[in-house]
Amino acid sequence: MNLKRKSIGAWLLILAVVFYMGFLILAPIISLIRGAFEEGLAAAWESITSPVLLEALILSLKIALLVVLVHAIFGSLVAWVMVRHHFPGKSLFNGLINIPFAISPVVVGYMLLLLFGRNGLLYPLIEKLDIQVAFAVPGMFLATLFVSLPFMIREMVPVIANLDRAQKLAAATLGASQWTVFWRVIFPQLRSALIYGISLTLARALGEFGAILVVGGGVQGRTETTTLYIFRCIEERQNIEAYTASILLGAFSVLIVSFADGIKRAQKRKQTMASIDVRI
Amino acid sequence: MERSLAHKALKAGWTQWMTRLPSFLYLGLMIIVPLMVILQDGFREGIGELIHQITLPIARHAILLTVWTSALMTVINAIMGLMTAYVLVRYNFPGKRLLNALIDLPLSIPTLVTGVMLVMLYGPQETMGAFLSETFGLQVIFAPPGIILSLLFISFPFVVRTIQPVLEDLDLTQENAAVTLGASPWTTFRKVVLPALVMPTLSGSLLSFSRAVGEFGAVVVVAGNIPLKTQTAAVYVLGAVESENRLGASAISILLIAISLLVLIAANTLERHWGAHR
Amino acid sequence: MKKTIYILLPVILIAMLLTACSGTSQTQAEEETTTEDEINLILGAYTTPREAYGEIIPLFQEYWLEETGQKVTFEESYLGSGAQSRAVVEGFEADVVALSLEADVIRIKEAGLITHDWKEGEHQGIITTSIVSFAVREGNPKNIQDWDNLVQDGLEILTPNPNTSGGAMWNILALYGATLRGQIEEVPADDPDAAFEFLCQMLSNVSVMDKAARDSVLNFEMGIGDLAITYENEVLVGRQSGNTYELIIPTSTILIQNPIAVVDASVDEHGTREVAEAFVAFLYSTEAQEIYAEHGLRVVNAEVAAAHTDTYPEVTDLFTVEYFGGWDTIMTDIFGEEGIYNQAILQVQGGE
Repeated sequence: MNLKRKSIGAWLLILAVVFYMGFLILAPIISLIRGAFEEGLAAAWESITSPVLLEALILSLKIALLVVLVHAIFGSLVAWVMVRHHFPGKSLFNGLINIPFAISPVVVGYMLLLLFGRNGLLYPLIEKLDIQVAFAVPGMFLATLFVSLPFMIREMVPVIANLDRAQKLAAATLGASQWTVFWRVIFPQLRSALIYGISLTLARALGEFGAILVVGGGVQGRTETTTLYIFRCIEERQNIEAYTASILLGAFSVLIVSFADGIKRAQKRKQTMASIDVRI
Repeated sequence: MERSLAHKALKAGWTQWMTRLPSFLYLGLMIIVPLMVILQDGFREGIGELIHQITLPIARHAILLTVWTSALMTVINAIMGLMTAYVLVRYNFPGKRLLNALIDLPLSIPTLVTGVMLVMLYGPQETMGAFLSETFGLQVIFAPPGIILSLLFISFPFVVRTIQPVLEDLDLTQENAAVTLGASPWTTFRKVVLPALVMPTLSGSLLSFSRAVGEFGAVVVVAGNIPLKTQTAAVYVLGAVESENRLGASAISILLIAISLLVLIAANTLERHWGAHR
Repeated sequence: MKKTIYILLPVILIAMLLTACSGTSQTQAEEETTTEDEINLILGAYTTPREAYGEIIPLFQEYWLEETGQKVTFEESYLGSGAQSRAVVEGFEADVVALSLEADVIRIKEAGLITHDWKEGEHQGIITTSIVSFAVREGNPKNIQDWDNLVQDGLEILTPNPNTSGGAMWNILALYGATLRGQIEEVPADDPDAAFEFLCQMLSNVSVMDKAARDSVLNFEMGIGDLAITYENEVLVGRQSGNTYELIIPTSTILIQNPIAVVDASVDEHGTREVAEAFVAFLYSTEAQEIYAEHGLRVVNAEVAAAHTDTYPEVTDLFTVEYFGGWDTIMTDIFGEEGIYNQAILQVQGGE
């Protein structure tokens, strides 16, 4: 597969890509890190261990984990239906799933206020139920739910579409029960996509800013997530705090996604091995 | 035999709806309802008023700026994304694992932070920014190049991650055959690999275009936001919401959503059309 | 090994989720208790005085504890004045609002959430004031002294967008007013066309329009632009944080009046009327006003004001929104869709 000796062309290509990524992605990150340590290690440490930041992190995690749970269940379901079932208007359906990508966060927040604000459509309902949605955590949860919708579905669809029917058929004809087929054949393939989808959803949910600013109101201690905390720090000229919190958030998300990526690759390797076995 | 077949059919129908109903309900609540709300708000004074809002000079300029910067960014992203995916899949080199992990970084960084980082790096007082403006007369921050740069950053994963799996699954036998038959690497790429990658590249690009059109957080910090000069549609919408021009906000949002939907449907149709021909 | 990870990870996630959920319900229960000993007050303010409130609030908490034995906890939100006002109208249950312009309080009143006459009283509902002024680089290299200097070629000005920022509106009003009042050399007084031209000239020098006053100043601090038109108190607070830019006060400028009001709907629902009204009364006290003065704000308390004339020099020609006929006229004639400001923008950018 890989020629051990790569042509000059190949090396040029690699260099071009490395430079591009270095300039586009690495350079800003490095300047962020530099900014965080501008006042020394002690200052950086102090800001990372701030109790206010911890409170914000906990809120971010609460919302993000709940969002992940909902999307893991329903997202997989939708992906399954989209691949396996056929119904009119499927292509529109497909397009709709990607809508959250295209909508500006300001608009998302605004839509939620149109629904749950004091003059909103659903306000009478939530007032009766005595729940606070706008300017409270439920509203922020809904906003985050909306913007992170596509990730799980997009990850699951190709995997479900590619489910090795031959493997499944083979297992079925050899007398395996429905349950065994699912658990031994289908589930492992889905698992890595699920994990990857979860990690992307988690990363996206943790990073949401615009929509929760509009819908949450940025009340310190009550509706302040990590991203809103970062925003507040910038406004208050507490740059070190802002940068360290950003690095923390970014690093956490990167770790999650790399972990999931590792699992995906391990799964692929196992799959290739397995199919080689079958062919032999 | 007959009874078990009918039994199976009945059962299948039931489980079908068991899975369909919650899915439709979920999507309906999550997407259709908010969309309906915005549509209703935008059209509440009739389509004439909506068109008036869209064609206001400041709004029009904002929309055009958004569309052309997103489009230019998409082209760059498509090319670089293709190259990056190819390099990551086909070659091995030191630091490859790190590079791969970095690709998803833009998804994890809050957009607000992206904007801040870029201003820190390319602001007029920093070395990069000053260097660029002195040497090339190119202003990055608070000018369209800054907008394009921030959009490139946030959309980077989309193209790469759409092409990668396709490339990984591509059957190498054809490629190897071409090579043994004497085709140069470039010809092999052009005739064997590229056709297979057209669809995912297009699909990933169109997705990144949709994403860019709606971007707010990164752009608002970097762009300068001067109406009729560097103000994008998303920033204009914020201004509209905050200055009580809710109709304007909804109208522009509807337009942006319509553009993205059209683009996504176009991608879908192309995909099916292309698939039919193969 | 891998298998254990697969089982362990979801278990950990679910465990975290459960603790998170129980955590939420616990804090909710805590928040809703308004016992005899504890009460919660929600403040919705604009961004500028956040440092001041950071100091005033603990003082009030002490004072209230002494006076009534009740412990008051505060929840504070700082957003752009307009954004905060809209948030309250949309459902943010602030007990007290401290905003940048009267118009933002009027909006809340018109939504039916303020039912008393908040302008009643000695100071007519105004708690602090400031003026529109300029922040220039250390040493004032471009020699900016007054509005005339703003139209020189090649000057880069920072001012926020009036659509999203109350501060920006004050800036435009200050310039426009000063021009109309004949305070600009070579521009005749009471000549709307000439004033309009002058406004256009200034706008063509604007290089960045941020969404809020604070953002504008922060950008200026990063080295962008030659001057920022902003509140006097933004400049003073910025200097207190160690920045070395200088404050220039033009000969003619507008008095920015910052209102404060108790939100009847919220205090009645929360049962916090007594403490809210006490808080507002406290803000007029010498103690609180002194803190405002230390944080760059001009105060309405005559005694404190007199003690700080060094920091807050008198302005030669000071005017208020009354000069324009009040906020109603301003919002239509100047900032309306067909208003002077939009027309100016069109002329400036269209010409390029």
